[in-house]
Amino acid sequence: MSGLVTAIRREFRLIRRRPALIGLTVLLPLALCVLLAFVFRSGVATNLPVAVVDLDRSSLSRQVVRMLDATPDVEVSARADSLPEARSLILSGRARGALLLPAGFERDALRGARPEAVIFYDNQHMSAGSVIARGARNAVTAASAGLSVSLREAQGAGSLQATAAAQPVPLQTHALFNPTLDYVDFLLAALMPAVIQLMAAAATTYAVSLDFGPGRHARVLPRLAGGLLPAMLGKLLPYTFLFMLILGISDVGLYGWLGVPLRGSLLLMGVGAALFIIACQLIGALCFLLTRDFARAISFVGVILAPALGYMGIGFPREAMPPLAQAWSALIPGTWYIQLRIDQSLRATPMDLSVWPVLYLLAIAVALGLIVLLRLDRMRSALAPATARTARRTA
Amino acid sequence: MKAILRALRAELAAIFGDPQILSVMVVSLAIYAVIYPYPYRPELLREVPVAVVDLDNSAGSRQLARDIDASEAVAVVARPPTMAEAERLVHERRAYGILLVPQGFERELLRGRQSPIAIYADASYFLMYQKALTGIAGPARTTGVQVQVARQLATGTSRTEALSGASPIALVEVPLFNPAGGYATYILPAAFVLILQQTMMMGLGLVATRRAPSADPLPWRMLGRAGAWLGLYALLLPMYLVVLPWAYGLPWLGHLPALATLGVPFVLAVGFLAQAVAAVLRRAEIVQMVLLSLGMPLFFLSGFSWPIESLPPLLRAAAQAIPSTAMIEGYVRSAQMGAGLAELAPLIRQLWLLAFAYAGITLLLRLGASGSRLSAARPEGRSREAGDAF
Repeated sequence: MSGLVTAIRREFRLIRRRPALIGLTVLLPLALCVLLAFVFRSGVATNLPVAVVDLDRSSLSRQVVRMLDATPDVEVSARADSLPEARSLILSGRARGALLLPAGFERDALRGARPEAVIFYDNQHMSAGSVIARGARNAVTAASAGLSVSLREAQGAGSLQATAAAQPVPLQTHALFNPTLDYVDFLLAALMPAVIQLMAAAATTYAVSLDFGPGRHARVLPRLAGGLLPAMLGKLLPYTFLFMLILGISDVGLYGWLGVPLRGSLLLMGVGAALFIIACQLIGALCFLLTRDFARAISFVGVILAPALGYMGIGFPREAMPPLAQAWSALIPGTWYIQLRIDQSLRATPMDLSVWPVLYLLAIAVALGLIVLLRLDRMRSALAPATARTARRTA
Repeated sequence: MKAILRALRAELAAIFGDPQILSVMVVSLAIYAVIYPYPYRPELLREVPVAVVDLDNSAGSRQLARDIDASEAVAVVARPPTMAEAERLVHERRAYGILLVPQGFERELLRGRQSPIAIYADASYFLMYQKALTGIAGPARTTGVQVQVARQLATGTSRTEALSGASPIALVEVPLFNPAGGYATYILPAAFVLILQQTMMMGLGLVATRRAPSADPLPWRMLGRAGAWLGLYALLLPMYLVVLPWAYGLPWLGHLPALATLGVPFVLAVGFLAQAVAAVLRRAEIVQMVLLSLGMPLFFLSGFSWPIESLPPLLRAAAQAIPSTAMIEGYVRSAQMGAGLAELAPLIRQLWLLAFAYAGITLLLRLGASGSRLSAARPEGRSREAGDAF
């Protein structure tokens, strides 16, 4: 026990003394979280540039353009005289879409020939494209409904009647759990833990490599701590504490400064966070113990955890992935930790469902812990004769 | 000229002679090519599970539920009797949308009054939300138009007139470049560019931290190394940005000359940036750690998935200093969208500017470092790791 305390004290001393260690394990993850927070701070994409090709130049076409400009999603940034001109604007990135109002637009609308308003949007940049499509849809639908009501009123119907006739089945749409479709709640809240996941594993790999590498170096810490296991624990625990702190700080930013709702159990969040950090650290430690070479170990960490964001099912949902990808994603701690966070922050999931991600995290952490123990055991038997020799010599 | 060739050969030997560097630059590049795209293989999200809470239970409401089930985007998986049970299904992640048809839905319609219905879609997953919403709202809107047209037909108006009365302006939505909205088509081209950049930076950064000293003048050595990078990436870049998209069946409208005009300054910019990073961070393991952790943030900073217009102005400017920002835009616009050189010109200029800027910064850093080495010896350990790289 005292050996463990000695090892922990030594690690904290190391962290204080080595600028590289403190920079990589504390400052870099914090800086990246702050950077990401600023990237997504506005939360919703607004005023995306759209070009307008108004070939009618009538009062109705101008009204549609005004309504388009008035939606918060888009901003009419350019007027093009032809479609090829608009296309070039989109290709060069100066516009994300173009609205085409054909000649004869107003005339056709008034005589009931249903002219077409065409919105072209850049769906290669899908997130921007869908915002443009939504904005144009809202603007044109509103313009159309307004015209429909005024046409009916002109025919002598009362305004309530006219509205009922124009829209017999109105849709009330509700965005559950994230009513404003805020990217902070949706993406940033998942991205920060994903970055911390990678950093916690990588930092552990680095820290472990300093004392568990090949050569006589590997014997110093175990002797100090009185065994390989306390040495490893003393190595890991200081970083568990530091990364919990980093996660906590980034969460204060998310739930405090950026106002992401927190509707569930803080206790579950805390337990889940601790298991998550420990699981990430064990991945980092294991990668090093298996290779005993920092460069190869860090490549492993990268291969496992750099594409992890895609496997965690934030953008493209897990349910739609191939079975093998689903299985792999179930092994990544972040998958369950993110699910837990979404449940406890946005969704206020009932308790009996909320415990499952925590149990999965526990299972992953225990499994990784056992593998690390096995690996340490093999290392001990490899080190044993040498340690015995040194013990004899010192005696 | 001899000095340039010497540096070129030395750089290639450093890359191919060191298994660590080779594994970063080539082996992990190959592994990422398999692992990264795998979850997106199905491309499209289909048949998102939704629940229908039908409190009306009339012929009209049942027809609506059937229409919704028939749409490609969603599948009706449950018809719970109450809203509470439907919400439970959403919490269990067994349904991602709910259609609520209130009692009296059909009666109100027949009386000619407005008869609203409600859609709840799970916005904690945006793609699910979009699919559930469009899958339910599409058939529901059609029902509305049908009802209205039927009413008008009953009063004796013609079909076209009836339709135009319902919505006098027709909206046609034309998605350009990725018409089906495939997720792999959307995300992979940008991801490939970023993976290329990060592995190249890591590999060349490692080379730079492990260099043996040389007596040749620095500018010649830099030219030689740049030649080595261009030679190596004349193979790797087309593999990643032409062959790989083809293998994954992504649309490719680009032209090889356009890719070359983007690729040459991109490789130079990334290569010299790697030299500058190595000159600042000095130690191999720090270079690797920093570059590994920067991958994800750089992707979102590039303005590809989160529109660059929505970045704060200062970050937007800072993002332009990273080669991937311009290269992702340039490559996607050329290969996926079919942009010509005229539209790409500003991005190509930007990449050349970055290449020259980072070459200049590297020169200054190295000259500064060698200057200070003359005046004061560097502390032991550091200088060994930094390996007097130039």
